[in-house]
Amino acid sequence: MTAVAPRRRRAKLPLLNLVGAAIVSAAVLYVSFFPVAGLPALGAAFNPTTGAWTMAADAQVTDRMLHLSGLQQPVRVVLEKDGTAHVTARTDHDLFVATGYVHAKFRLFQMDLLRRQGAGRLSEIVGKVALDTDRFELQLGLLRTAELEWAQLPASDPLRDALLAYAQGVNDRITEAESTHQLDAMFTLLGYHPQPWTPVDSLLVKGDMTQTLNFTDTPLVMALLNKSLGTDLASEWFPILPPNQQAPYDPGPYGKVEPPQGIATMTAMTDAQSASAQAVYERLAALPAGLVSKGGASNNWAVAGAKSASGGALLAGDPHLHLTLPAIWFQLTQESPGFHTSGVSIPGTPGVLIGHNQHIAWSLTDAQNQQTFFYMEKEDSKTHPGMYFWNGAWRKYITVSYQIPVLGGATEHLTVKWSVHGPVISERGQTTSVWWSGNLPSQDLGVLMNAGRASNWQEFREALRGWYSPTHNFVYADDKGNIGLISAGYYPQVAKGQPWMPMPGTGEYDVTGTIPYDDIPQAYNPPDGIIWSANQRQVTSSYPYYIGTASNFFDPGYRANEIHRVLSQPGKLSASDMQALQTDTHDFLASEIVPVLLQSLSKEQLTPQESTIVQLLRNWDFRMEINSSAATIWSYFYGWYVYEVFNPWWKSRAVPVEMQEISDTLDQDLEAWTLHDPSNRAFSAPGVGSRSAADAQRAAFHKMIPQIAKDLGKDPNSWTWGRVHLRVLENLAEVKGLNYGPRPDRGDGRTPLAAGDYPSTHGPSWRMVVDWGSGTFQGIYPGGQSENPASDWYMDRVDTWFAGRLNPMLTAEQAVAAGGIRTWDMRP
Amino acid sequence: MGHAAVRRYVAIFLAALLALAGVLLGLWWAPFVIGVALGALDRRARIVVPPGAAIGLIAWAIPLAAVHIQYGLGPTTRSLAAIMGFDHQGVLPVVLTLLVGTLLGATGAWLASAGRSALTSARTGT
Repeated sequence: MTAVAPRRRRAKLPLLNLVGAAIVSAAVLYVSFFPVAGLPALGAAFNPTTGAWTMAADAQVTDRMLHLSGLQQPVRVVLEKDGTAHVTARTDHDLFVATGYVHAKFRLFQMDLLRRQGAGRLSEIVGKVALDTDRFELQLGLLRTAELEWAQLPASDPLRDALLAYAQGVNDRITEAESTHQLDAMFTLLGYHPQPWTPVDSLLVKGDMTQTLNFTDTPLVMALLNKSLGTDLASEWFPILPPNQQAPYDPGPYGKVEPPQGIATMTAMTDAQSASAQAVYERLAALPAGLVSKGGASNNWAVAGAKSASGGALLAGDPHLHLTLPAIWFQLTQESPGFHTSGVSIPGTPGVLIGHNQHIAWSLTDAQNQQTFFYMEKEDSKTHPGMYFWNGAWRKYITVSYQIPVLGGATEHLTVKWSVHGPVISERGQTTSVWWSGNLPSQDLGVLMNAGRASNWQEFREALRGWYSPTHNFVYADDKGNIGLISAGYYPQVAKGQPWMPMPGTGEYDVTGTIPYDDIPQAYNPPDGIIWSANQRQVTSSYPYYIGTASNFFDPGYRANEIHRVLSQPGKLSASDMQALQTDTHDFLASEIVPVLLQSLSKEQLTPQESTIVQLLRNWDFRMEINSSAATIWSYFYGWYVYEVFNPWWKSRAVPVEMQEISDTLDQDLEAWTLHDPSNRAFSAPGVGSRSAADAQRAAFHKMIPQIAKDLGKDPNSWTWGRVHLRVLENLAEVKGLNYGPRPDRGDGRTPLAAGDYPSTHGPSWRMVVDWGSGTFQGIYPGGQSENPASDWYMDRVDTWFAGRLNPMLTAEQAVAAGGIRTWDMRP
Repeated sequence: MGHAAVRRYVAIFLAALLALAGVLLGLWWAPFVIGVALGALDRRARIVVPPGAAIGLIAWAIPLAAVHIQYGLGPTTRSLAAIMGFDHQGVLPVVLTLLVGTLLGATGAWLASAGRSALTSARTGT
């Protein structure tokens, strides 16, 4: 017995060894071939020849000769030292093939993310974490709209060939990248391959932008405010027309003189309506940032040749968007028989969105008019299941089914119901559908291409006649000294009702059409020679159409006021003045309120610390500069002032909307009351007794000091703005280690150099200044041309952008003359 | 050094070349296959696993070194580290990469030698 046991053990050892080897080998092979615990498949992802290390080779850009199957003629691409691309083609078709190739070479992963977002296919690559987003996008209908747009595009429309050619170029690059193992490393790390690009994908990317800029939840917010605050306060505090003084660019006279017909004053909501609004609001609030527009912030303006130092028209534009790495923009010039454009494009779309051609320059800001309407559908599940009542009859919902592949999970089945108003987005209690102008099939990309080919105002204006959504303020300046601004797009009009809140879906309150093109806000060669927009309401109170309320549709107007103040000063203006105004940190609201505050404190017994604070404010130039302590004090003060006045109301009325969400409107109210109605009943909230604006200011002043001291120390001189106000450029794939910043930065949410929030992640995504007199064109965006973080072009423009400087926008010939270029010769 | 030892080193060298060629052709799992072939030659793990590991290391390290010489790996390693949440500790992706290559070669050799050992044991009953 004892002699046999060791032999048995020896006999078992090889088997145990084999089992051990098999287990370890299986584990190594498994983690090499498959992603585990958040890590990519290690073998596929990290091998040095086809894995993520290829980003090192991809980061090197050299002179090349390459063949693209979609080309008809040779094309030349010149890449500047900073990667700005100059595409020169002999046919328009080839121009778009080459543009597609260039975009995909530098931004393919970004493009894939954008189309996946619009198509509700993010879960396929990141798992169930994106499932809510995918469900919502498919419900909202971007994919459906893009498919309709493509289906409705006539065969003879030049946009059709442009989109097909562009897709061909993208696919040429995908094929090349796969064969040379140089797909962007994120594909490798996430373990998937990009599908071929299609024209619908380009239309989806455009749809993403529309959604980001004008799909709003404002009517739901208004409903909740109405219910909680009461109709009287809600209508007083959240009016249609802004309560403060603003600077509309189109002062009239207007083409139609009757007041808006059928638009009601605010009335009370029922409990059911309120509950419905609450349900939809919560659903939208739970979505990731960026899917619901929370108000825009962009600037543009133009100065006529007569008011310009160079004698030629000036134009400046800086659209404010989420600042990401890679940026939303890709800079290029396009030269072909039909196109001579230079500016910035959105990867995934074929043309230049903001820029100039040989004769005109243009830029955009969001026009902000109401483009989202919520309808409460009338249903009777007992007698008419699956139907809704509209225009006197019961109708069946249209249903559309989708499959959502989920990485690491079962495919999700989704059925979307559509009423005549649009997709149903909530069935909790009350079925609610949404009418959104982004769901109107349009050919906006073709409109942009035509606008880019215009050579004068008439052609430009006519090209924009077909623009739908998002409505934009298109500023214009040409080589003849003319300037113009037109807020092109769809302006939904309802027959009657309260469009700023959810409305009954029975037909009487439907969107009936849009404002006639000749009546939309616009101006051409105004007598004072200046024109500007900064998301403010474009028109005065006498404008005869409903275009949205002051509450969270339009900007409070401080940037517009400041821009108007600077531009309207006597004397001639130069390109450098434009550049300075783009980085202007003068807080218009502060310049109004701080003197009033100082007056309110003038008879107060102040501590030495308080006296220092007052002195800092007294000496302040109202500029939100990094080294300014007064800027910090002002920012804290106004936040406390808003809180002091409104929070008692919020508590006593149990308002379910965060004050931060509607801060733009509260800022306007408080500004107007402080300056013109200091005894407004709002200051005497329940529980605080009767008081005036000055009383509230003093209370806020005394309460804010301990808070700042706690955050920044006791010495007011050390409370510099740069300590609390930081800027971050966020990596698009949400890889924090690839962010830029946080870095102290100037400006705030009310200055032309827009930098709201803490840290600020939105702001001037592209700055452009054009001077037709000297023939100079300049621009900059924060980031770089390449999405590859190992590339020199990943964030090479950031420091220049932070410094407020601009780069020259060269032609291909100028770029060659400047040297340091790479050239790609493309052949069929 | 005897003929057997020379033959062994030559075999290992050729195996390493073969694995390297496979990796350069995009067959990143080649070290595992070569390791299996190597392991099948000898049932003693202590004899085949170290060369298997070395083959895996060489087959992945040389292309990585070539990338470094040609393009420079600094920005890439830092980027990969950031993506993986290693806070720009650029050395970690390099270590991880070399570790994966090494493990592929070593486990291939171990698995095959263990299989041969078990087979031999089953045949001989020892």
